[in-house]
Amino acid sequence: MTESPRLEMRGIVKTFGPVTALDAVDLVVGRNEVHGLLGGNGAGKTTLMNVLYGLYRPNAGEVLLDGQPASIGSPKDAIAAGVGMVHQTFLQVDNYTVTENIVLGTDVPGPLRLDLSEAKERIRDLSERFGLTVDPDAVVEELPVGVRQRVEILKALYRGAKLLILDEPTTNLTPQEVDDLFGSMRAMVDDGMSVVLITHKIRETLSVCDRMTVMRDGRRVETIERADTDAEHLAEKMVGSTTDPGAAVDAAALGAVDADKVEEVLSSVGTTTAVAVRDLVVVNDQGHELIQGFGLELREGEIVGIAGVAGNGQVELAEALAGVRPLRAGTVEVTGRSMGGLATSAWLEHGVAYVPEDRHRDGILPTASITENLVLGSQRSDQVRRRGLIDWGAAKQRAVDAIAEFSVRANGPGTLVGDLSGGNIQRVILARAFARQPRMLILHNPTRGLDIGSTRFVYQQVRKATAAGCAVLLISEDLDEVIALSDRVIALYQGSKAGEWQHGSVDAYAVGRSMTGLGEARV
Amino acid sequence: MGEITEFLTLMIPAMVPFLLAAQGTVLSGRAGVFNVSQEGLMVLGAAVGFLVSFKAGSNTVGMAAAFAIAGVFGLVLAYMTTQLRLDQFVVGLALYFAALGAAGLLYREVIGITMEPPLIPTLEDKPIPLLSDIPFLGEVLFDHDLVVYLAFAISVAIWWFMYKTRSGLAFRSIGENPKAADSLGINVTWARTWSTVVGSGLVGMAGAYLPMVYTGLYTEGMVAGRGWLVIALAFLGGWRPHLVIAGAAFFAGMEVLALRAQVAGIGIPHQFVLMLPYVATLLVMVFAFRWARQPSFLGRNYDRESRLVG
Repeated sequence: MTESPRLEMRGIVKTFGPVTALDAVDLVVGRNEVHGLLGGNGAGKTTLMNVLYGLYRPNAGEVLLDGQPASIGSPKDAIAAGVGMVHQTFLQVDNYTVTENIVLGTDVPGPLRLDLSEAKERIRDLSERFGLTVDPDAVVEELPVGVRQRVEILKALYRGAKLLILDEPTTNLTPQEVDDLFGSMRAMVDDGMSVVLITHKIRETLSVCDRMTVMRDGRRVETIERADTDAEHLAEKMVGSTTDPGAAVDAAALGAVDADKVEEVLSSVGTTTAVAVRDLVVVNDQGHELIQGFGLELREGEIVGIAGVAGNGQVELAEALAGVRPLRAGTVEVTGRSMGGLATSAWLEHGVAYVPEDRHRDGILPTASITENLVLGSQRSDQVRRRGLIDWGAAKQRAVDAIAEFSVRANGPGTLVGDLSGGNIQRVILARAFARQPRMLILHNPTRGLDIGSTRFVYQQVRKATAAGCAVLLISEDLDEVIALSDRVIALYQGSKAGEWQHGSVDAYAVGRSMTGLGEARV
Repeated sequence: MGEITEFLTLMIPAMVPFLLAAQGTVLSGRAGVFNVSQEGLMVLGAAVGFLVSFKAGSNTVGMAAAFAIAGVFGLVLAYMTTQLRLDQFVVGLALYFAALGAAGLLYREVIGITMEPPLIPTLEDKPIPLLSDIPFLGEVLFDHDLVVYLAFAISVAIWWFMYKTRSGLAFRSIGENPKAADSLGINVTWARTWSTVVGSGLVGMAGAYLPMVYTGLYTEGMVAGRGWLVIALAFLGGWRPHLVIAGAAFFAGMEVLALRAQVAGIGIPHQFVLMLPYVATLLVMVFAFRWARQPSFLGRNYDRESRLVG
């Protein structure tokens, strides 16, 4: 008789209202195995793992751990059963220390006492054993993303997890940190644990997983051994077909294919300077200078990518260049016109378009209709104006056209934007950005959380914009995306340029070093 | 010297309603439940505390009844926000009006309209042996009624619970990031429920103290906006029990000062002095907003299966 697998999920069904997120999904994870759970966003990977972790109750199906039926109704049950999960957004209490975050909810001596000395020792011991370096006394909100992730992993290990789920763990990491993380994962597996790696990056699964399960549209497509597959095959399974001409390119952006094959992405870079930024200084809401003396020139039709670890001034840079955050010092010229001090509406009218990172908070009015959201920013333009009032008939027609052109999946122009999926919200935002001919387009993490189809759509729109001579600033924490799309890559570290590379000569590790302040600037 | 001693001796009991109500507010607030029905709960606590004391002949029983009735209101708030996920602010305001109405109705039903208002005995001072003999300090701090000591003891206990125990560490995390707490097996609903019940009960006790301490009379309007001030006090203290003690001293000091300004007739309308706590709170919110931080999830309901909660 063979040993029962660590985890067996059978026929899991989960619905959210009318939407079926998981449709009878099976998953088997063996002992001492790194299992890749691969799929685009919306494929149901995270939902499946949230069911396993007790965050969602499945409508049907059963879960077996080490061959025993497990009834997991809450994360507490999951932890008790030896399941640990590291979420994409860290579930940490920002103003607690590393140790406090880790021991939270466990049996440190108490309950009417708080003695953390023993816990600290165990944390030190665990972090050494698995190569997860962290200071137990640091307050987590002051730590960089890579370290906060180690805290999440330690949290699971501290609770004796035998099965660790990592949800898109590499999203905000530098290549070096990714290597360290994969090293730690191997150390865990060698120690007798099982790891589930949720990812949409094919290259990652190939480099670290023993087996992988591909999911699409809430269904399991296949489970396959590492040795029996390659990038092309996985990409095909993920996307559903390779007949689409855009697929190869986008698979590259997803990390599947070598970056050389994406030459066609490259726009025809013009010779005229479209945007000139000099000695830019921008402060955040607390008055700290997060952009310090930043300079940049963008030519017509050029895509410049800004690579950096989140929190190095990306938000402030994007907002300053979009005209929604005042410049503390320095100048921004768009097609020769100095924009500093002008109202946001003037920036908009001059052809600056902005696709913000937090699309729910900064990009849309969730409880307003598609029509209303599309009018925003153009409310004074003649297209939708009649005798000083908004011509809602014309606005509605514009929305109908945009829904068709940008393939927004919605019931009609009256649909509330908050009810749309992330990908469709992004389509609405893009439709608004392109409503007038933009001269400068600022994209901040434009494909975060989008499925492959929507990601591809965003890239197509970017290409269309550059073909029309629009300069594009792509600020992204997805290094693969930046490298694949940009004519030039700039590393941003603590508000300053830490390195610059031309397309084709970009070394991801060099960028990674510069992003963490270790590299030598090659400006 | 005598002036200062007298001022402080008056200030300490004046702190009690602020302390009890604000610590109750802070307690549920640190779990993320922002109770805004304090003014109503204090009026109801005052009415019920008075009526039960009057009928039962015991201030202790009256105090307990005030705690219980306000606790029931807290339970309603907890149920409606944690189970039905209704807006905390809206439910709190509704409870404020309900409590206000219930207080008036109860007094009318039990006492009716009388020429001579009923009286209850005021609380006796119980000097603490030895400690009350210390010059100055003994007089100021240790020569008061039992509720004064209780209010300070409760303040210290809540601080100790929150910062010095494992349960408190878990408890505070709910107000900061309930999803994180939930993912670690901490029962968000239970913590929010008990803390809202106990916290509201303390607010009720704060109200009941008013008729018991000065006159032995219940009058409509005797709470006089203290319940609203308590919300400001919670913010002023940054939702920390130890800083709330200092804030309560400041608010009580203002109250005593306003009273004296009225008596002495110093030319400044006492209403201006009564405004000072609010002005101070505004200034603190403006200039020290980083220090006066509040729980990140204050006033926000938690829904485990919501995809929008970050």
